[in-house]
Amino acid sequence: MPSDVETIARDNLSAALQPAADPHELELDLELTDYGLTSLQKVLFLTRLCEDLAVDLAHLTERDVAEMRTLHDVVDTLSRYAGKAS
Amino acid sequence: MTDSVINRLVAGPPAPGHRISFIRLGSRRTLDLTELYEQSGHVAAYLRSLGVEAGDRIGILAANSLEWVLLDLAALRLKVVVAGFEPGKFTDAAELVARYGLTVLFTDRDVPANAPAAVRTFTEVAGAAARAWPDPPGPVVYEPGEVTTIKFTSGSTGAPKGLGATVGSIDASLQAVQEIFEHRGDDDLFVFLPLSLLQQRYWLYSALCFGHDATVTTYEAAFAALATARPTVVMGVPAFFEAARQQISRDAARADGIAPDTARRTAARRLFGDRIRYLWTGSAPADREVLRYLTDAGLPIYEGYGLNETCIVSKNHPGAHRQGSVGRVLRGKEVLFDADGVILVRSEHPVNQRYEFAGPGDSERMFVADGVVRTGDLGYVDEDGFLFIQGRADDVIVLGNGKKVIVRPIEEHMRTSPAIEECVVFCPAQTSLVAVVSPASDPADLEAIAGQLARTNAAFGRDEQIRKIVVASPRPSIANGMLTSQFKPKRQAIFAAFQAEIMNNQDGIHAQ
Repeated sequence: MPSDVETIARDNLSAALQPAADPHELELDLELTDYGLTSLQKVLFLTRLCEDLAVDLAHLTERDVAEMRTLHDVVDTLSRYAGKAS
Repeated sequence: MTDSVINRLVAGPPAPGHRISFIRLGSRRTLDLTELYEQSGHVAAYLRSLGVEAGDRIGILAANSLEWVLLDLAALRLKVVVAGFEPGKFTDAAELVARYGLTVLFTDRDVPANAPAAVRTFTEVAGAAARAWPDPPGPVVYEPGEVTTIKFTSGSTGAPKGLGATVGSIDASLQAVQEIFEHRGDDDLFVFLPLSLLQQRYWLYSALCFGHDATVTTYEAAFAALATARPTVVMGVPAFFEAARQQISRDAARADGIAPDTARRTAARRLFGDRIRYLWTGSAPADREVLRYLTDAGLPIYEGYGLNETCIVSKNHPGAHRQGSVGRVLRGKEVLFDADGVILVRSEHPVNQRYEFAGPGDSERMFVADGVVRTGDLGYVDEDGFLFIQGRADDVIVLGNGKKVIVRPIEEHMRTSPAIEECVVFCPAQTSLVAVVSPASDPADLEAIAGQLARTNAAFGRDEQIRKIVVASPRPSIANGMLTSQFKPKRQAIFAAFQAEIMNNQDGIHAQ
């Protein structure tokens, strides 16, 4: 059973891809670059995802972003902040 | 008062009341430009304490930050030449010191224990900026031919070429830009491309000289910083604005119960903030559809043209703009054409007459004579003085019948189809054209691609007909080496990947 963070992350990644993919088909451990996501698109994806999760982007550093290489990494990192006030 | 922007900048502190912000993910720092200037004096004193003197060369290998800007201003105030190195493209600090004859190299990267003493950390620079130093730097005056910085320009092979940029060329470009864009007190120019690119530092010199705000961030943090920074001007490359268009389009599609035009404008403001006056793009050809989309979304975007060797040659701007062109030629620049139609640029104040660091023959190939630069681009100037770029001279195909075909307009026409993401045209047998198309969807919409082939062939002449389309599978990407980091197609790699399909007469979509 995926967490809420994972469900919302899947929806956002699906929307960020060209062409869009089925959110349920996305593999958690595949590198985001293997989905064709550029570094700019990755930040846009994370920006929108943080908004949807009410996570303040100021929690994250550029190193955090660089180290989020897979959807799994994204879910793990943002789960730490989801639900916390900014 | 001197007309030289650089001399005004080093003559004394700027007028108070304008600010510069440095935004990274997770941090933001804002200071008045007068404070920035004062701190640059501290860093200048620190440089002198290291034995750095006028005429020396220092290197900066770092991401955009306050320390980067302070070092650059300090160097200007001491007549020390700055060589900016973009992390990732350049790595080995010790090698840079030796290769470019640097007195000191400052870096925000980890410094290995065995690095030479000339390699210093940004932590030291930050410490120096915060300290009071007894002797602020004295006044300096530049002559137009003096060099303030080394610009690096990627070569097709080998090490990047290094070019010294003269004060006269910097002054001329900044004055011409100020004339047409009139940056003013309530402007905030947003800079996220590497400060190692001299043109990105222009906007900080502009802030100090003409009195406006500036925001400095990084490529990675740019989109996250935009909405909070609320800039009025964003300087970006086409790939950045293409990513922005995609996001605006997605956000607009998610808005329920709003007219599409309103949804697009709302999404544009959400991404870029609510104060945009205009967007600036250049350095690579921009997709006309992207320019039109952003302009329609309330974000007027102006494309220009220039090379490292020429600086800004032409620019569309609010007062003179023509779709498809790269604008009118700026004051102080003259565009000429050689016998093959290749654009030559003559500058009243040339960037330089030759490279400082380059391979044998590189300078002679680029710098023709008297400061004239051979760009290698093809184009024309229309009756109203707008410059149009048609492609690289290298991309011209000469058919067996001697006719020359410029492929870029054909490729652009093919890309107007929503079914086509990228198109590259080849001429495998010198008789007819074959296009490799990267589809916009998976699976490809073959019917739509065939329809576009018919429309494009109808729009072009007899020698410009595409005989066959190869639908690329896999699609070209940065990861598979068929696109550059700027998303430009690598022709040779694409040809190599699809050579069999390009050469045979069976596969693909054929013209009717």
